[in-house]
Amino acid sequence: MIRHLFKLIWNRKKSNFLLITEIFFCFLVLFAVLSLVVHNVRNYSKPLGFEHENVWLLTMRPASDSTELNRQNLEQVLQRTKAFQEVESVALTTSNAPFAFSQMNNNLAYGQKEIMANEYLVQDDFKEVMQVQVSQGRWFGRQDDASHHQPIVINRALQQQLFEGEDPLGKLIPRNDSLNYQVVGIVEHYRPSSEYTAEEPGFFVRIDLPKNENAFYGELLIRVKRGTGVAFEEKMVKELSGITKDWTLEVSTLEKMRQNKSKLAIVPLIALAVVCSFLIFNVALGLFGVLWYNISRRNGEIGLRRAMGASSGQIYRQFIGEVLVLATFSLLLGVAFAVQFPLLQVFEVESAVYFIALGMAVSIIYLLVMGCAFYPSRQAAAIHPAIALHEE
Amino acid sequence: MITLKNIEKVYQTKTIETVALHNVNLHIPKGEFVSIMGPSGCGKSTLLNIMGLLDEPTNGLVEIDGTPIGRYRDKELSQLRNQKIGFVFQSYHLINDLSVLDNVELPLLYRSGVSAAETRRLALTALEKVGLSARTKHYPSQLSGGQRQRVAIARALIGQPEIILADEPTGNLDSVMGEEIMNILLQLNSVDGTTIVMVTHDENMAHKTERLIRFFDGQQVSDAKTATHEFQKV
Repeated sequence: MIRHLFKLIWNRKKSNFLLITEIFFCFLVLFAVLSLVVHNVRNYSKPLGFEHENVWLLTMRPASDSTELNRQNLEQVLQRTKAFQEVESVALTTSNAPFAFSQMNNNLAYGQKEIMANEYLVQDDFKEVMQVQVSQGRWFGRQDDASHHQPIVINRALQQQLFEGEDPLGKLIPRNDSLNYQVVGIVEHYRPSSEYTAEEPGFFVRIDLPKNENAFYGELLIRVKRGTGVAFEEKMVKELSGITKDWTLEVSTLEKMRQNKSKLAIVPLIALAVVCSFLIFNVALGLFGVLWYNISRRNGEIGLRRAMGASSGQIYRQFIGEVLVLATFSLLLGVAFAVQFPLLQVFEVESAVYFIALGMAVSIIYLLVMGCAFYPSRQAAAIHPAIALHEE
Repeated sequence: MITLKNIEKVYQTKTIETVALHNVNLHIPKGEFVSIMGPSGCGKSTLLNIMGLLDEPTNGLVEIDGTPIGRYRDKELSQLRNQKIGFVFQSYHLINDLSVLDNVELPLLYRSGVSAAETRRLALTALEKVGLSARTKHYPSQLSGGQRQRVAIARALIGQPEIILADEPTGNLDSVMGEEIMNILLQLNSVDGTTIVMVTHDENMAHKTERLIRFFDGQQVSDAKTATHEFQKV
C-alpha cells in the first residue's frame, strides 16, 4: 500500500506541486525558528559559571581629568565600600562586567594557533564576589605579586580551542614583546553576556592596583549580605558621593541587568514565534482547504475503492497516508537543505542544535498535516460507496 | 449464489419518500449469466448495488452462498466484496493517475497475503485475458473507450471473483466495441464459469445472456430464460 501511495502522489506531482512547496517552506521557517529556540534553551540550561544574586554593580564616572585625584578617590571608595557591614566582598572590574552591554576581546596565540577571546580584567576578590569555581589550578592572588608574568585564569572553552588536548597550566602566552600571560587556573564555565548566549572563549586578567598606579577602573562589583535592600543602596551612594564629590555614581543589581539582557534575547524570539505561528496557521488552513477540496473531487475514486474491497477504515488510512507521503516529499527536500547547516557549521552553532530542531520540525510538520487531514479523511471514509460511485 | 428475499429499498428525504425497489425476490445460481433490463430510474442500479453489498436494503434479506449478510459489519462486507465480487461500470471508473497495470492491481491491494510479485503476475494474466497485455504502461487517457472497459474487466477479474456485476458495461461504447466487451463477458461465463449479472438497456446484448429479468417502477415484472425462450410471468 505504501508503494501504491508513493506512486499515486508521484504521478500527481504536478497537481500536488503547490502543496509540496507550501509544506517545504513551512518546514524551513519552522526549522529556523526551532533552531533559534533550541539554541537558546540549551544555553539557558547550561551553568553561567557564577552567582549573580546579591551582587550589585557600582558604576563610577569621574568628572575630573586628574588621574591622581581620581585614583585617590577610587581607593577611598574601595576601602569605604569594603567597610560597610552589609557588604561581603568587592572587586573592581571593567565595563564588561556580567550582564553589561559591553565586550572586550583580545587575540591570544599559542604555538600555531591564534584565537579571539573575551578579556575580563578583575581583582583577586572577584572570585569571592562572583563565586566563580576554579576546576583546575588556582585563582590568582598575592603569590602572583612577584611573578614576572601576568597570571591569567582561562575558561574551558578557551582551553579547548587554544590548547586542544594539552594541559594549559603554567603555559605562557605572549601578551606583548616584553610580557607574557601565564595560565594559572581554569574555570569550567563563564558566560557573563547573557543566559541565552553560548559559551565563548575567555580569560581573566588580574588587576594589580599597586603595580598600575595611574590605572582607573570604573566598575565595582559588590556582594552584599542576603536581604540587603534599597535603604542600604541609598546610604552607600550618599556616603560614597561624599568621597567622590562630583562623580556620577550609579548602582544596579546584576539581577536587574540579567532581566534586561534576557528581554533582549526573548523578545525577538517571541516575535518570530508569533510570525511562525501565523504562518503555520495559514498553511494549516490552506492544507485543510485543499485536502477537503481534493477529497470531495475524488468521490468516484472512493466509491471505486470501496467496491474493490476497501473498508471505510482503509479509505481513512489511505487519505492520511497520502498526506503523509506528500509531506515526506516536501520534507525530503527540506531536510536535504536543512542538513547543510550542521554539515557546514553555519553560524558556528553546535550541530546538535540543528539536529534537534530538524527532528522537531519534521515531527511538527507530520503532526500538522495529519491534523489537517484528519477531518477530511474521516469524511471520505464515511461516504456511502453507492453514493460515491453514483457521483462519478 | 445470490439470493434476494423480499427486498425493499426506500430513499427518504424530509419531504419525499421514494420507493426504489419493492418486494424483489431473486435467486441467481452459480455460473448463470443474467441480464437486468428496465427504463431509467426503475431500480436496476440500486438492485446491483444491493447485490454487490455496496448498499443495504431497507427491508429484506440478502444471501451470498446461502449466508445471510444482514449482520455483517463494514469490514466483513468489504472482505466479501473483495474476495467474491468483481465490478464493471458503464463509465469504467479507472484512476487516471495510475497506469493500466496499476489500475488492474487495485483490488489485490486490499487483500492480505498477496505479494507484490504475485499481484503483478495476476494483473498481467488478467490483461492478457482481455487482450491488453501490450498496453500495461499506458494511462487511461491514452486508451479508447473499449480498451478502458477491457481494463475495467481485467481489474474485475484479477481477484478471481465468483460473481461479476456489470452496470451497463457497453453503455458508453459503439456497437463494435460493445460487441467485443460482450464477447469477453460471455467467454468468462462459459469458460471460467463466472456468475455474471449485467444491467443493460440493449435488447441485443440482453438476449445473449441466459436469463433476462425486467424491472419497472422498482418491481420485477418478468424473469425469462433467453436461450430457451421460456417466458415466466412473475
